[in-house]
Amino acid sequence: MSSHAASRGEADSSVLGAEGADRPLVALVGPPNSGKTTLFNRLTGLRQKVANYPGVTVEKHVGRVRIEGDGSLDLVDLPGVHGFSARTLDERVTKDVLEGRVEGIRAPDALVLIVDATRLENQLMLVEPVLELELPTLLVLNMSDELAARGGHIDDAALATRLGVDVVRTSARTGDGVESVREYLSAVRAVPGGAPPVERHLTNVKVGTSLPVVDAFAARRRLVREVVDEAGFIPPGPSALTERLDGFFLHKLWGPLIFLAVVLVVFQSIFTWAVPAMDAIDYLIVSSGDWLGETLPDTWFRSLVVDGVFAGVGSVVIFLPQILILFLFLGILEDSGYMARAAVIADRMMYRVGLQGRAFLPLLSGYACAVPAILAARTIDDERDRLATIFVTPFMTCSARLPVYALLIAAFIPDEPLLGPFVGRRAAVLLGLYGLGIGAAVGTAFLLKRTLLKAKPTSFLMELPPYRIPAPRTLALRLLDRSKIFLKRAGRIIFAVTIVLWTLTQFPRTEFGAPDIEESALGRIGQVIEPAIEPLGFDWRVGVGLVTSLAAREVIVGTLGTIYGVETADEDSLALQETLRRDLTTGSAIGLLVFFAFALQCMSTVAVMRRETAGWKWPMLQFGYMLLLGYTGAFVAVRIFG
Amino acid sequence: MRLVFNLSEKAVQSLPVAHEVERSAPDLRLGDIPLRQEVELVSIDLPADQAEPLLERGVLPGCRICPVRASPGGDPIVSVDGSLLAIRRETADCLCVRLLASLGDAG
Repeated sequence: MSSHAASRGEADSSVLGAEGADRPLVALVGPPNSGKTTLFNRLTGLRQKVANYPGVTVEKHVGRVRIEGDGSLDLVDLPGVHGFSARTLDERVTKDVLEGRVEGIRAPDALVLIVDATRLENQLMLVEPVLELELPTLLVLNMSDELAARGGHIDDAALATRLGVDVVRTSARTGDGVESVREYLSAVRAVPGGAPPVERHLTNVKVGTSLPVVDAFAARRRLVREVVDEAGFIPPGPSALTERLDGFFLHKLWGPLIFLAVVLVVFQSIFTWAVPAMDAIDYLIVSSGDWLGETLPDTWFRSLVVDGVFAGVGSVVIFLPQILILFLFLGILEDSGYMARAAVIADRMMYRVGLQGRAFLPLLSGYACAVPAILAARTIDDERDRLATIFVTPFMTCSARLPVYALLIAAFIPDEPLLGPFVGRRAAVLLGLYGLGIGAAVGTAFLLKRTLLKAKPTSFLMELPPYRIPAPRTLALRLLDRSKIFLKRAGRIIFAVTIVLWTLTQFPRTEFGAPDIEESALGRIGQVIEPAIEPLGFDWRVGVGLVTSLAAREVIVGTLGTIYGVETADEDSLALQETLRRDLTTGSAIGLLVFFAFALQCMSTVAVMRRETAGWKWPMLQFGYMLLLGYTGAFVAVRIFG
Repeated sequence: MRLVFNLSEKAVQSLPVAHEVERSAPDLRLGDIPLRQEVELVSIDLPADQAEPLLERGVLPGCRICPVRASPGGDPIVSVDGSLLAIRRETADCLCVRLLASLGDAG
């Protein structure tokens, strides 16, 4: 277990471990949508790292703040929470970090509590549990410019006196006031050995958050009311912009239409805008692989590097443009406030199949790649809903399926019109495969919520933040983050799997070196599973492809190319299409398509599932279920079309 | 409405505030309130784990709450403390409310 914890903690021990102990650690706390991350990015810039907290799926963002002429300190950006009731994972982690109970991270020396000043009463619900920690605290009234613009007012000096903390006003988006946060941090840095704990006198709120629930919250609410009254808080008028936009985006007719349009644009952009970049990456990988192949001496090592590592890791890196475009869109949608509205619109549909509105985002991401999609499901607060969502996410037609679909459809489905001149037979098959995925996802979610994940209907609660223009800086940093995580997670597993597969093609050695594929360990594995796949009309060659495509679905294209001795095997390869037509019937080809629509042929997804569910139970169940569905589906398809 | 009866027994135990406030004669729920009419929350007929996220966001007995819009699916979007919250109508039907005295019997 300890080795697991170490690998999950990833490489930020240099930031937070013993050697950093001389730098103070400041924790950034605040409710969601308070501008917390924007402020964090303003303060730390690129000097930040993302990792998981040991054993859980909550991301840990740690950065270093440089203080002029006076060294630096560490800043940890905690998840946005409304309280520390430890109901959700985010709340539990926040509480544990603040109380210094998380392995590998020191107890913070001071806190920065950031709130959205335009919704002060709502946001200050967090102030009492934070002040109870009795740490030096800075209260940041973010979006103060907006408060003033909408006719609101707050006396920050009175607020500071009442709460016994320092108060500053900022606009993290424009950068106004961020200097005063830096000054506070510099004061924290100046105190040797950390400031002494602060004693605070908040009358009659010394109630734990455990029992009785309502009393604790009511007391907290009374305190907030007192505090804002004493500080002369005048709430701002309603945001005209938000009202007008909501009238449009949540309109009975326009709302769903705009929602559909947004989905289509995201969808379309994943597939069209990404193509040039993907071609470029493909070209770079292939040509650098070729160059290496010519440069290195002809040994097993060259084969490992060129055929194994370059081809394998390349098959993952190629999806990076799609993932970047997807996350750019999702980032804009999220930061502008639209995503919350989209979740509300999707909630009714999702609720019917047993999911909830927040599942919309991961399912949409699943069309690019299930790995980031499963990570995106972390925002789902209900654990059963989250499990059901990530269980069905791999049914969405990810882009790794497309090369397989393209090859088989081009080889077996005639290019002729089906319904009028616009819907061809090939397009209809492709659409049908997308439909199969959606159908399987809906059916499975429905089934899961009535069996394994059965629960009373949970409530769906979504805060609709005011609409805002996304900050390019925050977007860019998040993109950087996401791509690093994707490359690390997916790259690592693909790297390992490709080395194993490559090794299997190299043994047993013959006097001429590597054996023919039929004689190799991999070929024999294909022959061993042949009886199992014979009812589907697949021979050992396809069997080998099924085994290698466990690494990533599109790997089967290259494998079939190797086995059939076709030099340049890609999905447009005419030679490969012809060979395939000799070996497979149309029925079997459709069976193979259906198999790929359902089966979880993706080790990266399995690995991510294991992390996200903290165990093997769910990934194994998911793998077995999807394999069974794939096999059955293929069997039925072969009987229908054979 | 089914939901209410299933859950209310448990809810009374977990949410002691419910009986401190005298109930308004007809059992009025947030789901029955027309748009843009501000009301006062009396009690929450939900088990504690479902009520807690509401409580944390300031949806507490005694607070003012106003349905401002309906989502395309017919779920209410309410304004509380200057924040907008989207809830399901099933949840809205578990929130007992009272009309504000100054508005009389407008509902």
